[in-house]
Amino acid sequence: MPSKLSGRLLGEGLVVAVLIAWLVLGRGLPEFILPGPVAVARRLFELFATPEFLWHVVTSAWRVLVSITAALLIGGGLAFLAYGVPWLDGVVDERIKPVLNSFPSIGWAILAAIWFDPGHFGVIFVEVAILIPFCLINIAEGLRNIDRELMEMGRSFTRHRARILWRLTLPLLVPYGLSATRIAYGIAWKIALVAELLGAPSGLGYLMLRAQTAADSTTFLATCFAIVLLFVAGERLVIVPLERRFAQR
Amino acid sequence: MSETGVALAPSLRQRGLGTRRFAAHLFTLLFLAAWQTASLIAPSYLLPGPVPTAQRLWVFITSARDLGHLGASLYHVAAAIAISFVIGSLLALIPYYVPVLRFAIERRIGPFLNAFSAIGWTLVSIMWFGVSPLTVIFAISAVLVPFALVNMAAGLANLDLEIMEMAGSFTRRKWRMFVRVIVPSLYPFIFATLRIMFGVAWKVTLTAELFGGNNGLGYMINLARQEFDTATIFAAIIIIIAFVHSMDRYVLGPLQANVSRHYAG
Repeated sequence: MPSKLSGRLLGEGLVVAVLIAWLVLGRGLPEFILPGPVAVARRLFELFATPEFLWHVVTSAWRVLVSITAALLIGGGLAFLAYGVPWLDGVVDERIKPVLNSFPSIGWAILAAIWFDPGHFGVIFVEVAILIPFCLINIAEGLRNIDRELMEMGRSFTRHRARILWRLTLPLLVPYGLSATRIAYGIAWKIALVAELLGAPSGLGYLMLRAQTAADSTTFLATCFAIVLLFVAGERLVIVPLERRFAQR
Repeated sequence: MSETGVALAPSLRQRGLGTRRFAAHLFTLLFLAAWQTASLIAPSYLLPGPVPTAQRLWVFITSARDLGHLGASLYHVAAAIAISFVIGSLLALIPYYVPVLRFAIERRIGPFLNAFSAIGWTLVSIMWFGVSPLTVIFAISAVLVPFALVNMAAGLANLDLEIMEMAGSFTRRKWRMFVRVIVPSLYPFIFATLRIMFGVAWKVTLTAELFGGNNGLGYMINLARQEFDTATIFAAIIIIIAFVHSMDRYVLGPLQANVSRHYAG
């Protein structure tokens, strides 16, 4: 037990040490290179308190949620297509998956900037395109690992395909769906925000780029930390409880 | 019942494979046809057709300047993977040897690095290092470190305690144990880590090059975007897809399968 406590102390001590180092370093450096932690913390607070900033936060979060849902539906749909229609397996597995999986994320962002007007649709298009392969791979993996014996048992009870799907296939897929959601959530906040750099007049990505070009490092760093906070909060408050709930069944 | 299943399986699979391949090729043809039709309707700066794109691709693979950009991107990816693999592995090894630091690394440093967005790293490194290869490599490495950390930590957590005990009964030198026992048992995880890092690196590299680089495919795409040269953008994207996919499929995948098979038992 004492080693656990000292480990915890060391961990929190590290955070404090980093903050102090930042404070000292920030004093010696000009504000546009490294603003102090106090200024960044104040801006971070403003980010969540003033309506104008909060609007950007909400816009980004809303887009992330819509994109994850759409990517789960499309990726899951493609996985089911390959599973249910065997001759389409090659199309999904050898054509769609490798291309989407290797497609560079900035490529989507640039294409969307060329194809669509700046706005919600372009951003969501890019985020969905980036997230689909992750959902597709995970759900396809889940379908591949479905217990054949269990399916056979299900078929011996009923011949309704919808019933089997609802009562057997989908519940068996839940863990894979959750891990797809988890991965997509991480990628959405960390990588897919690139969509907001090129094709959006709102959102945290836009805010970050605007702050960076204006050499407003305080706002820029505050936005970065806001993303860290949103990411961790979403994971702790939504994804972990969901996983715990479904893991128990 | 099971016997007939076994007897039927090969022929069924054979026929299934034929249809599968046919369907896949048909899909490719349909896609190209749809692309061609759409390009006839849309202006060429929105959607260049397959033929101009193929011509641009040919120019790409014969032009030293374009290949130079590909080389620069490769260099960025390779350097970043090497750097972040070393840093991530070291971070994963510290709690193994100094358990007191486990909380600091796995609950404080790891989650923070994991939650920091790639664009944040890119823009912050532009502010700190200006527009240069260093910026690009720093940004990619920062994104990749948590992947290396998480995977290598999982590998260390999976070490067979019995084998470690056996090794401990043969030698008491920690270095010897590390080189002879720990590293070989980590091989499957090392290759899995490298494969994941390779995939993620390419997703981030172009972004970093576009904003903070003065060479590389991302830089090239950015120039093409400003000139509305969409065919070049298409060609660069196709080159990347082909390169990433073939590396993963024909080099890293078989390598990883080989290693896991070798060390599975």
